[in-house]
Amino acid sequence: MKKLFKIELVKILNYSSFKVILILHFLLFLLVIFVSSQIDISVPGFTMKNLFQFPHVWESFSWMASWFNLLLAILLIVLVGNEFSYKTFRQQVIIGLSRNDLILGKGIVILIVAVYGVVLVLFTSTLFGLIFTKGLSLSIVFEKSYILIVYFIQAIGYMTIGFFVAVLFRNTALSIVMYLLYFLLIEPIIRLMFPREARLYFPVKIISNLTARPEFLTVTSNKPMLDSAGQSSLDLNAIGIAQDPLPMYLTIILAVVYITIFSFLIFILIRKRDI
Amino acid sequence: MTILEINNLSKRYGKIQAVKELSLTVEKGMVYGILGPNGSGKPTTLSVISGILKPQTGSFRWFEQGASKWLYRKIGSLIEVPNFFPYLSLCQNLKIHSLIKDVPEEDINRVLGITDLLTRKQSRFDTLSLGMKQRLALASVLLGDPEVLVLDEPANGLDPEGIAEVRNIIKVEAEKGKTIILASHILDEVEKVCSHVAVLKWGQLIASGKVNELLKEDDTIIISAERLDKLHEMLVRAGFVKSIEQNDMEMLVTLADKKTPSDLNEFAFKNGIILSRLEVRKQSLESQFLELVR
Repeated sequence: MKKLFKIELVKILNYSSFKVILILHFLLFLLVIFVSSQIDISVPGFTMKNLFQFPHVWESFSWMASWFNLLLAILLIVLVGNEFSYKTFRQQVIIGLSRNDLILGKGIVILIVAVYGVVLVLFTSTLFGLIFTKGLSLSIVFEKSYILIVYFIQAIGYMTIGFFVAVLFRNTALSIVMYLLYFLLIEPIIRLMFPREARLYFPVKIISNLTARPEFLTVTSNKPMLDSAGQSSLDLNAIGIAQDPLPMYLTIILAVVYITIFSFLIFILIRKRDI
Repeated sequence: MTILEINNLSKRYGKIQAVKELSLTVEKGMVYGILGPNGSGKPTTLSVISGILKPQTGSFRWFEQGASKWLYRKIGSLIEVPNFFPYLSLCQNLKIHSLIKDVPEEDINRVLGITDLLTRKQSRFDTLSLGMKQRLALASVLLGDPEVLVLDEPANGLDPEGIAEVRNIIKVEAEKGKTIILASHILDEVEKVCSHVAVLKWGQLIASGKVNELLKEDDTIIISAERLDKLHEMLVRAGFVKSIEQNDMEMLVTLADKKTPSDLNEFAFKNGIILSRLEVRKQSLESQFLELVR
């Protein structure tokens, strides 16, 4: 494992496209959070600044970071596509890596990139949270910080599907096009053909729902109005604007199941086909 | 010890049968040449035994064991074109290979020295000429001093000097007792460095054996004498030759089985003909090869 880690580090740290995409990801994310923090829409009873205060900042920033997960997936597709176009996968098998090692190696890259994403969200959330929150306490700071783990799973999910598409098509450009088509067009169209309740169970829907959109009305209102059941009446779902998501625990379980299924499919493709 | 054993190996690409029921055995210390025209299945065979292609039927075993990643680390393979990361330097590419093979990084300088690439070790792979890329591939093959070398057209893209260098490297490695499996279309190359050879055609083995045994058969003998017509008649009548061609000055014969050039000289002398010329022209592997695959 340590050896595979070292091998992948040599490959990615000396690859300028890897650095460019990560820097682009970093700058875009910073730009979005900086610009959104400067928007001050304050009406009586509501303020956007709440989105940047603990504990809501964890959800807000994870949600914003999730917009750029496609970029991380494209990065993974480029890295895997390179291995096929340079025929370096086959070269590495010739000199002594097993096919499982090829998958593990890219699995390590997925983990590295996902950890980078989590560290980015952790660092920026902490910074903005400290700046915007008045009356700090440890319990407020760490409340909802679990969402970082959920974001970590989500980033892995996006990249695992990217890995699968790259192994399936073995061509970087085609894989990127097919990946984006599936995420943005194919699955949404397929979902429409199914009953409303079933739509929540599709892989892209499950994985993208991991970091759900923060409840703007609830968060931005200083005093959430709770009904007799303890639910906020300012919830977009409760109002009927958005569809009720699955419970978080179920979404996480299903996301892990989908990641496992796609990993298994990658395993089958790499094992059974010529490389 | 048997280094490689291939049993009834077949590989298909759609409707094209690339390799058909191929069986061969390579023993320790052999320099085993694989010859064949384009489409004969040489790279496919080497790709299968290197683990990158899956055979439809048949099997192969390395070191009498099987085919595992641990065994592949004892083998240095160069299959088809050199495959490296174009954006990495020679040193970084070889670092990846040394990590995979569990070879100390210090060995990188040794193999770059052997292949005369030490001065370019920090250059990006995509800045190298084809010949240099081929030499880097050879450097990678030599990393870790493997027991077996599998080389597919190692002289590809090299100038005459480079070809001679590669030949020299192969000879030096063979002298160390290494087993070398070499596929090449340069027959002269195979003839000069190989101890054994297998000839493939349409993915099937059509001949195999020691190079000198394959060459021993059907040498051409050039004869000159005063009474060539008479000698021609006697040789045919006595069943001394397999084939005979004659012009005004000389006669080209191939001897019948078990007949030697000295037998021929004695036969002519006993029949009152003194040969003014008797030259044995060893049939080259090229002519043997062309005859086999025709």
